[in-house]
Amino acid sequence: MNLKESAKGENLFTGGHRACAGCGAAMIARQVLMAAGPNTVVASATGCLEVVSTIFPYTAWNVPFIHSAFENAGATISGVEALYKSWVRQGKYDKKVNFIAFGGDGGTYDIGLQSLSGAAERGHNILYVCYNNEAYMNCLSTSSTIMTKDGLKKITDVKEGDDVYAFDQKTHQLVLKKCSGVFDNGIKEVYELSTLHHSIKATSNHPFLVVKRNGRGRENALAWKTLGEIKTGDEVITLKNIDKERPGTFDFKKSKKGDYKVNKINEINIPASSSPELMKYLGIYVGDGWTRPEKAEVGFAVPEDSEARGVLTELHSKIFGSPVNRLEKNYVYANSVNLARFIDSLGFNKGAKNKTIPDWVFSLPKEEKESFIQGLMLSDGYRIGNSARYVSASNDLLKALRLLLQITGYRVGKIHQQTKVKGTFCVYRELLKDSTYGYVCFSKKKGCDIKKYPNQYRYQNPLIENKYFDTEKVRSIKLIGKEPTLDLRVEDEHNFIADGIVVHNTGIQRSGATPRGADTTTAPVGKVKKGKEQYRKNLTAIMIAHGIPYAAQSTAGNWRDLTSKVEKALSIEGPKFINVFQPCRLGWGYEPELTCEMGRMAADTCAWPLYEVVNGVYRITYKPKEKKPIAEWLKLQGRFRHLFKPENKAMLDDIQRVVDENWEGLLKRENPVSK
Amino acid sequence: MAKTNIVARTGNEAMAEAMRQINPDVVAAYPITPATEIVQIFAGYVADGLVDTEFVPVESEHSAMSACIGASAAGGRCMTGTSSQGLALMAEMLYIAAGLRLPIVLADVNRALSSPINIHCDHSDTMMVRDAGWIQIFSENAQEAYDNMVQAVKIAEHAKLPVVVTTDGFIISHGMERIEIIDDAEVKRFVGEYKPENYLLNLDKPITVGALDLQDYYFEHKRQEVEAMKKASAVILEVAGEFSSKFGRSYGLFEKYKLDDADCAIVAMGSTAGTAKVVVDGLRKKGLKAGLLKLRVFRPFPKEEIADVLKNLKAIAVMDRSDSMNAQEGPLCLEVKAAMFDASAKKILLNYIYGLGGREIKLEEIEGIYNDLFEAIKGHAKDKVVYLGVRE
Repeated sequence: MNLKESAKGENLFTGGHRACAGCGAAMIARQVLMAAGPNTVVASATGCLEVVSTIFPYTAWNVPFIHSAFENAGATISGVEALYKSWVRQGKYDKKVNFIAFGGDGGTYDIGLQSLSGAAERGHNILYVCYNNEAYMNCLSTSSTIMTKDGLKKITDVKEGDDVYAFDQKTHQLVLKKCSGVFDNGIKEVYELSTLHHSIKATSNHPFLVVKRNGRGRENALAWKTLGEIKTGDEVITLKNIDKERPGTFDFKKSKKGDYKVNKINEINIPASSSPELMKYLGIYVGDGWTRPEKAEVGFAVPEDSEARGVLTELHSKIFGSPVNRLEKNYVYANSVNLARFIDSLGFNKGAKNKTIPDWVFSLPKEEKESFIQGLMLSDGYRIGNSARYVSASNDLLKALRLLLQITGYRVGKIHQQTKVKGTFCVYRELLKDSTYGYVCFSKKKGCDIKKYPNQYRYQNPLIENKYFDTEKVRSIKLIGKEPTLDLRVEDEHNFIADGIVVHNTGIQRSGATPRGADTTTAPVGKVKKGKEQYRKNLTAIMIAHGIPYAAQSTAGNWRDLTSKVEKALSIEGPKFINVFQPCRLGWGYEPELTCEMGRMAADTCAWPLYEVVNGVYRITYKPKEKKPIAEWLKLQGRFRHLFKPENKAMLDDIQRVVDENWEGLLKRENPVSK
Repeated sequence: MAKTNIVARTGNEAMAEAMRQINPDVVAAYPITPATEIVQIFAGYVADGLVDTEFVPVESEHSAMSACIGASAAGGRCMTGTSSQGLALMAEMLYIAAGLRLPIVLADVNRALSSPINIHCDHSDTMMVRDAGWIQIFSENAQEAYDNMVQAVKIAEHAKLPVVVTTDGFIISHGMERIEIIDDAEVKRFVGEYKPENYLLNLDKPITVGALDLQDYYFEHKRQEVEAMKKASAVILEVAGEFSSKFGRSYGLFEKYKLDDADCAIVAMGSTAGTAKVVVDGLRKKGLKAGLLKLRVFRPFPKEEIADVLKNLKAIAVMDRSDSMNAQEGPLCLEVKAAMFDASAKKILLNYIYGLGGREIKLEEIEGIYNDLFEAIKGHAKDKVVYLGVRE
């Protein structure tokens, strides 16, 4: 078949399906059908290919197609072919038809192997194509916030390579780990899980770390449970403290010139790093301040008799080296273009509804965080007994404050919403119009005397002596609706801290086809283990051992190799098997345009040799002119990144050795007499 | 009346005989005691060229049902047979066959479920998959097993739902009986030719079977499936009507035995109904008004009809040959109770769990149930759930 000729044919696997950009499986399906032509019936195992191509009421298949379950593509296509034989024998049918089954590596190597083996043994006239992406391929709402080295970030702002905080599952300590991937998982149904102090939105299959109670007197364990499995009363792990704290540093360049309207630069000192004083000042700013750089104005709504005014004016002089410029009955003004621009550069946002707490505040030393909270309280806070209450019109601000309080040793309630009508007197002033406000209540956590009742306290809270983490009971799980979702992948620990709760990262699970050394969520890279320890099973050899007339290996990215193998297979009567190597951009972590390249490199390194066995006779269909080292291919894939650490060299060498041995073995099988 | 031949056949032989006469396009099966014989006998018919069937000797029951689904979706008439663990292994595929609305016919020889392993009769296997979306027809004896198989093909294809016909393991499957076999040609005429509307082998009109159905369609499709199940009662009665007019033996959703003027009655399914009839006759001779309701069709459950025929009774005993492990009552009892509740007919309703793992049910024990019922009518309190014949 040549490309021009094949391009003329009808497109039997059409576009518009929902596969990822750069999906190798869709490519394989299209090329197989191109070679097979229209008189083809397709059966598929449950898996990526079936899911992306047949979302009711749409289908990408222009040939008859059946899917019934995960583990039975071999048996299903057997049934279709059996009916065909019966009808031909009864004289009811006379067309020639190809019967092709598609299965992923999970549906073929693992759960579907029995069904495939049975079909091969019974001798059905079928072709089974395995699209082998070497693994089994969950999510958080995009509104989640993630604790990173640089402070609290929205999940949408986290990038690959960022250092994120994670829970060390062995030592139960707080550790920093690299984020090795960010995945857009589309719009999904999300649920809100709430504890007394925390809440998070996630899909029902997202795993959370929970306490597994083994009964009184026995040691408790920690286990992963999906949100769907979690019940109210289960205890999730939450973050109560972070260290590796440092003062914020500001890279602010003072303007030499004045603004075009206000040619006035108040010569003031801009601090180079944060301090408790500055944080308290900024706390008051967040509640009561505004900036108008174009008017060289920083203003605060702090009335004469308020405690805030005294503190503010004193702090201002101390920090900036000059007093405030103007005092009115209800307002205080400082005139400085640089001060206004400096405050704007800090990321608190403008306007009562939009203000927030920028990420850098979260990694400040505890004392500075406390000062900031005190500043906030001086502006929009008030106390009711032992409980403090902070009021704001900005939901982002309240959400961030809640998390800040949680890691600074406070108990925090949920965010309450209330609407107050125009004219109501609310924290120092009358409202100018009807206003919706939110508030959070919090109080300092009281210490408990663990020494006095050690067993009781430890039983109630297995992490009570942990510096960083705490346990909290789940109070409710509610369906929120459909929202955009994202997920992260985190090296080594495979977890991260979202909205203050320890959650598991995205799932790529090992299968019988996963190669040795690959990092998957069910065979993760840890302190002791270096990813999957086993070599993959040689399924092609297993199928050859069935004595079937045709078995082959091909790869996505070499269309000529694949289509000619499909044509040859379909010209032979009996069971046929083609194992097609399929790079998976999501699972392997490479750029989407590299799918074909990744497939070809698998052949160039001889990690995935292209060969066929016709009635027992081996023929290698592609011999690379220069056999590339396996490392060149592995280094392009996130799942093998850890192999390039010096301590893992032995494993990398071992992988190369096995590739070499297998290749030599194949050469011998092709030409048994020459050596 | 059509020509019939009187022969001696076991239940398994009778079912295999029906399969030969139906001559399905594909049979995919895996052996399991006590259903093995059906498959064996049928494989013999294939070997002797007595049928046009493509026989697929699969490597598991899961694959048996998978291959039946493939063949049925491809446009063929197909059948299989199994028991117990085999039906359990098929469970995943049974739901799929029903969801895809494929008219597959399955002969299930009722046998207990492991653990402990036991090869003898009870109804646990069929009850395990009672909500899979399959029409379920129980047989009292080999004659009914034969007649039900012949009717099942037509019912499945008209109701567009798969049908399971059951016999009691060993009691019916291996018990030799005198049965009337219909002439081959008559069966062929009765079942007719299967003409599917849409099928995979119609290359001119490619279809996608088994698409991914998300939040926006799944619910509607399941709703349609249950509607088909509701309407299946009418199909079953229609096919039974045609069968009766051609071959003389009449069937309904259930059989009333001396029920109309009875004070109390047993509700039972399968071979036990036959045993209970003997007891009813004995009690009637003594002047006691005992009756029996033999349920033939468990799915769809004929709730209004059952509530109606039980409404004049003073006391009812439901015999369950399986337990739901729900710490409440057996599955048949719960269904009967639900039907009575909807009809606002509060009755003395006792549940007897019996015969698990093939434990024999004796005439005296069934008579004991009737005695309990008569006592209960007189106002003597009785246990709501009795484990009949168990050593406690």
